[in-house]
Amino acid sequence: MVKMMNLIQNEHMKLYKRLGTWVMIGLILFAVLGLGAFTAFIMESNENTNWKETLQIENAQLQKQLEESPLKGAGETYVQQQVAINEYRIDEDIPPVESQSVLGFMIDATNFTGIIALFTIVVASSMVASEFSWGTIKLLLIRPVNRTKIILSKYIATILFALFSLVLLFLFSFLVGSVLFGLGGVDQPYLVYNNGSVEETNMITHIIQLFGFNSVDLLMMVTLAFMISTVFRSSSLAIGIAIFLMFTGPQITQLLSSYEWVKYVLFANTNLQQYTNGTPLVEGMTMTFSITVLLVYFVIFTTLTWVVFKKRDVAA
Amino acid sequence: MSKKPVVELNHVTKRIGKSTIIDDLNLQVFPGEVFGFLGPNGAGKTTTIRMMVGLMDITEGEILIHNHSIEENFEKAIAHVGGIIENPEMYKFLSGYDNLIHYARMVPKKISKDRIREVVKLVGLEERIKHKVGNYSLGMRQRLGLAQALLHSPSLLILDEPTNGLDPAGIREIRNYIRRIAHEENMAVFVSSHLLSEMQLMCDRIGIIQNGRLISVESVRDFVGSSSKHKMRYHVSPLDQAVELLRSTYDSVVESVGDGFIDTTVSYEEIADVTELFVEHRIRVYGISSIQSTLEEKFLEMTGGEK
Repeated sequence: MVKMMNLIQNEHMKLYKRLGTWVMIGLILFAVLGLGAFTAFIMESNENTNWKETLQIENAQLQKQLEESPLKGAGETYVQQQVAINEYRIDEDIPPVESQSVLGFMIDATNFTGIIALFTIVVASSMVASEFSWGTIKLLLIRPVNRTKIILSKYIATILFALFSLVLLFLFSFLVGSVLFGLGGVDQPYLVYNNGSVEETNMITHIIQLFGFNSVDLLMMVTLAFMISTVFRSSSLAIGIAIFLMFTGPQITQLLSSYEWVKYVLFANTNLQQYTNGTPLVEGMTMTFSITVLLVYFVIFTTLTWVVFKKRDVAA
Repeated sequence: MSKKPVVELNHVTKRIGKSTIIDDLNLQVFPGEVFGFLGPNGAGKTTTIRMMVGLMDITEGEILIHNHSIEENFEKAIAHVGGIIENPEMYKFLSGYDNLIHYARMVPKKISKDRIREVVKLVGLEERIKHKVGNYSLGMRQRLGLAQALLHSPSLLILDEPTNGLDPAGIREIRNYIRRIAHEENMAVFVSSHLLSEMQLMCDRIGIIQNGRLISVESVRDFVGSSSKHKMRYHVSPLDQAVELLRSTYDSVVESVGDGFIDTTVSYEEIADVTELFVEHRIRVYGISSIQSTLEEKFLEMTGGEK
């Protein structure tokens, strides 16, 4: 039996000995540096000592909004939660997190998971398709290793690339943030509204949670790209479709959100944050529902990938 | 042969859609022999090889390698096989050495660094092994291809056009090497090639495939020397007198006359008779050699030329 470790090691060798991979990793680091420079030197400092006043004004506005045009269901609770959290801040003297602090910067940097999704799609798209276009698939598949293991090792290597990039983003944004803005306010808590009262939780946990939420989208799109790469053996097609869907999918589902069936569309479910702060796209959708839908899509994507890869006659 | 075959093809048939690519193919390759697989383009050589290494499904029939079915028991069967399928395409952005490491990691038994070095030395790539494969010439890639095929000491070597792209010295080297490992290490070698003259020098037995059917399997010696007539070349002097003599004695013996020699087509007995005739008439004989009919001629004869 050939150990799975060996196969993953092989995929890693093939991935990280290519310049393109390091260019992508470099771009992620560059993006964080760019954001840091922008936040530190160009963005107007909104360091205001009278944040309490600002929050009071915001609360007044929110209250007014509630009274004038009552929102339905989840929307209303969201606004109420926001008001409660703002009041808690004023009472307990906990200022909101600013962009020009290490934690605020890290929260802003979580948006770069989109870039990581993009790059991981590129990696996933070439994983199988490239072996065909290089012609190396023939020598790869005449080893005493069954095809299931080979495709699995490729998928794992792809996911590990995403994971590596996410960890890198997390650590590097912390590094850049702490160099530019100092370590002030690291002990600042994150406020959540839970069962009628506001609670303080760990900010770092919150940031990791943000990473987690953003990774759902990433995982689904990468799995889709991996499937297209395997089924059509074309990396450009896989990259094209996956990126197109990643950018347009959410908008299209938003447009169609008045239809009931939209809730079964993949993109209506990838943003799990809609349940923690905000309104679900279609009324009646729940976290459990979305996770179930996501799991169904995931199983379809991976099964199709596996079946096609296992059965295909290699004639390239 | 009483030895057990390394690979057995039993009634192998491949259909894609309605067309039959391979039709009821039966053959066996034994340890220690080099088996040549010959056929015009599109005859089904590559399809057969792909089925032998499990890259393609077999529609009907079975392929057994050391009695393991390539379809039902792929991992056990393929463990005995080393191969180059078509051009040896390697990862160009990796060094030759990394390519070998890559394949070494994919076999169950551990392949030592010494073994890798040994194989590299064998194919004569020591100096360039740390270079990127992208910079290799076709010949060097062919050698690296051979190295990856031999890495795990297989008992069946499957080579698709192994001398493609090599210079004459390289061809000769690979040919000698293939013959040596087959005979010394008792390895079975299955070679396909369109270079017919190459096959003649490299193989022990040859199978001819045409339109998906195996039309003949013969040993090279029988294959080339099967006709009852022999082509003999006599180096004699004086030439004119010799030609005159032959023409007057036999009906249609003289094929052509060259610079200092006569080419003849004679029966086995006539070889001696002609010599005797020359000697009796005081014609000096400097040399008698046999001109083998080449495989190519035989091949074209059997497959009906271009068809």
